[in-house]
Amino acid sequence: MDTSTLTGLYRDMWLIRAFEQGLEREFEKGNVPGMLHTGLGQEATQAALAWHLKATDAFFPDHRCHGINALAQHRHGGDGERVMAELFGKATGVCSGKGGSLHSADPAVGNFGDNAVEGSYMATVLGVALAAKMRGQPNVACAIIGDGTVGRGEFHESLNMAAIWDLPVLYACVNNGYAISMPVGEGHASADIVDMVQGYGFESRQLDGNDIVEAWTVVGEAVEHIRSGAGPYFLEFKTWRWQGIFAGEFRPEAEVKYWKEERDPIMLAGEALAGRGVDQAELDAIERETTDLIEEWIAFAMESPAPDPVKATADVYVGWEVDSR
Amino acid sequence: MTAADTAAPKRAARTPRKARDRVRKVAFTRALNDALDLAMSKHDEMFVIGEDIAEMGGDFGVTKGLLAKYGPERVRDTPLSEAAIIGTCAGAAMVGMRPVAEIMFADFIAECYDQVVNNVAKMHYMFDGQFKAPLVIRTACGGGFGGGPHHSQSVEGWFLNVPGIVIVAPSNPVDAKGLLLASIDSDDPVLFLEHKALYRSRAEVPPEYYTTPLGQAAIAREGSDVTVVAAMRMVPMALEAAEEAADAGVAVEVVDLRTIRPYDAETVLASAAKTGRVVVANEAPKIGGLGAELSARISEECFSDLKGPVVRVDGLDTPIPFSVPLEDVVLPDAQDIAAAVSTAAQY
Repeated sequence: MDTSTLTGLYRDMWLIRAFEQGLEREFEKGNVPGMLHTGLGQEATQAALAWHLKATDAFFPDHRCHGINALAQHRHGGDGERVMAELFGKATGVCSGKGGSLHSADPAVGNFGDNAVEGSYMATVLGVALAAKMRGQPNVACAIIGDGTVGRGEFHESLNMAAIWDLPVLYACVNNGYAISMPVGEGHASADIVDMVQGYGFESRQLDGNDIVEAWTVVGEAVEHIRSGAGPYFLEFKTWRWQGIFAGEFRPEAEVKYWKEERDPIMLAGEALAGRGVDQAELDAIERETTDLIEEWIAFAMESPAPDPVKATADVYVGWEVDSR
Repeated sequence: MTAADTAAPKRAARTPRKARDRVRKVAFTRALNDALDLAMSKHDEMFVIGEDIAEMGGDFGVTKGLLAKYGPERVRDTPLSEAAIIGTCAGAAMVGMRPVAEIMFADFIAECYDQVVNNVAKMHYMFDGQFKAPLVIRTACGGGFGGGPHHSQSVEGWFLNVPGIVIVAPSNPVDAKGLLLASIDSDDPVLFLEHKALYRSRAEVPPEYYTTPLGQAAIAREGSDVTVVAAMRMVPMALEAAEEAADAGVAVEVVDLRTIRPYDAETVLASAAKTGRVVVANEAPKIGGLGAELSARISEECFSDLKGPVVRVDGLDTPIPFSVPLEDVVLPDAQDIAAAVSTAAQY
């Protein structure tokens, strides 16, 4: 990886971090309704995926998806602020505020939308991939999932059908160690998800999800493999989420300290860049610029109007109007 | 309404005139097979998918011959993976394909309930109209043949409370073909219910392409004394009861809903207001289903026109037992409808 690519990825990871930290602050102030699941600590995984997926590909974002949604929107649409506005439930959001954190989509940038019921789009991704294959398009259909999704039946139905039909699916499993509070090794037959996947017979690989160089390289290889028509690919990113559970932190203090202080993907990338002779001033400027940009997006979201009430009954059906009484 | 729905006039259950000299008696299953064949010729973006639908032609033969004509890319057998079947349809529909799934027995929809309820039905709404889900889920429903608790249920009630899904429920071969073609044309997701007891029913079905509009009921028989509102197998039973009532001097009007969601309230309420005496016939359990909805709506909106309370004919509040004599106890029949008509006629 050349230094300019690594610098670009460093910027992308900072965009995600600034987005999530800004969002957390606004959530605590009561400006963001609903629930909040941040991708803090998982920035390398998301930045690597966003880098290699084109607007003509399709990705189904996971439960901690704001970062990749914002990156894809920023990269392909130039309007990342609309992802922020969606989280605020505003008219200017990518789904006019009807989707929110867990149902934010924009097919123009390849974002096919999260589904808050874990595992659902493990099935949906098959259809997007099948359509691409039937039409002879070199597109990748990517399902980003957490380790918790491995418990769902659709996880296994999907891997089986992708295998028998040789579909262009990239499975990106973000193994952050816990399904809500259930440790991965207690909830599944193996703490290493790739061990469970191998029986399906297609390419699978486990990697360090906090090492942006490794993540970017491996995702690039997997995407090329799929585009060449060689069938599905399963990646397991070993990582760790900074956010605890709704009630607070439940993990051992030493574990929290290790991941935040020694395995922070942005810190690791910064050290790698410094090792290549990039000035600290340049790295500081990237942090400042991305943070400033996110503050602009937050201001945009705050100032945006609420959705028009007619939106509440719009688009239930294509062919019928719904009674608005 | 979709553009396709304007193709046929309202209450067009009868054979189009121009086709009359070419008509033939065709089974319900064959009419559905014709519809799939015609639709696959029309829509390059259409494929059919399900368990044992390709070489075998489906459990009831509805997809027979399609594999030979359209090939394995467009006529796809799957493993026993209902959630993956509907998910595949949903994803393909998101990018403009027009899939038709077969879920072998309606009871098995429980395996893909989340896909239908949380994914397919909500996709257009929650993503602010950016995606459509123009897919059809065909499935064999209903009891009366000793299928037991997991091959006999009427599932429409499971979906009545789900905005975004269209539920289509034909009662005869002519409508079956026209409604299936309209469902495939529709840009909304359609749950297409095929009552197994109707599969062998025959009628003169025009061989050409035609659509029967979604969301429009048909007056299956006109009458001025008592209205019976029904769908699927309850329609031929209601017509049988109507014959019996006619002998006793009671003129029964039978409203065939054809689409259960969104249903044609205008036609239902007009008939109820006209006769002032209403029977609602429904094979599913009484509580919380189609019969309950119709009874409530008619009572609310036609209260001053009604000469007495709505009379309900429903399945009992039980699972469907295997033994046929027990099943006969649980499921309503023409005699139950006839008795309800007699009750209503007294008002």
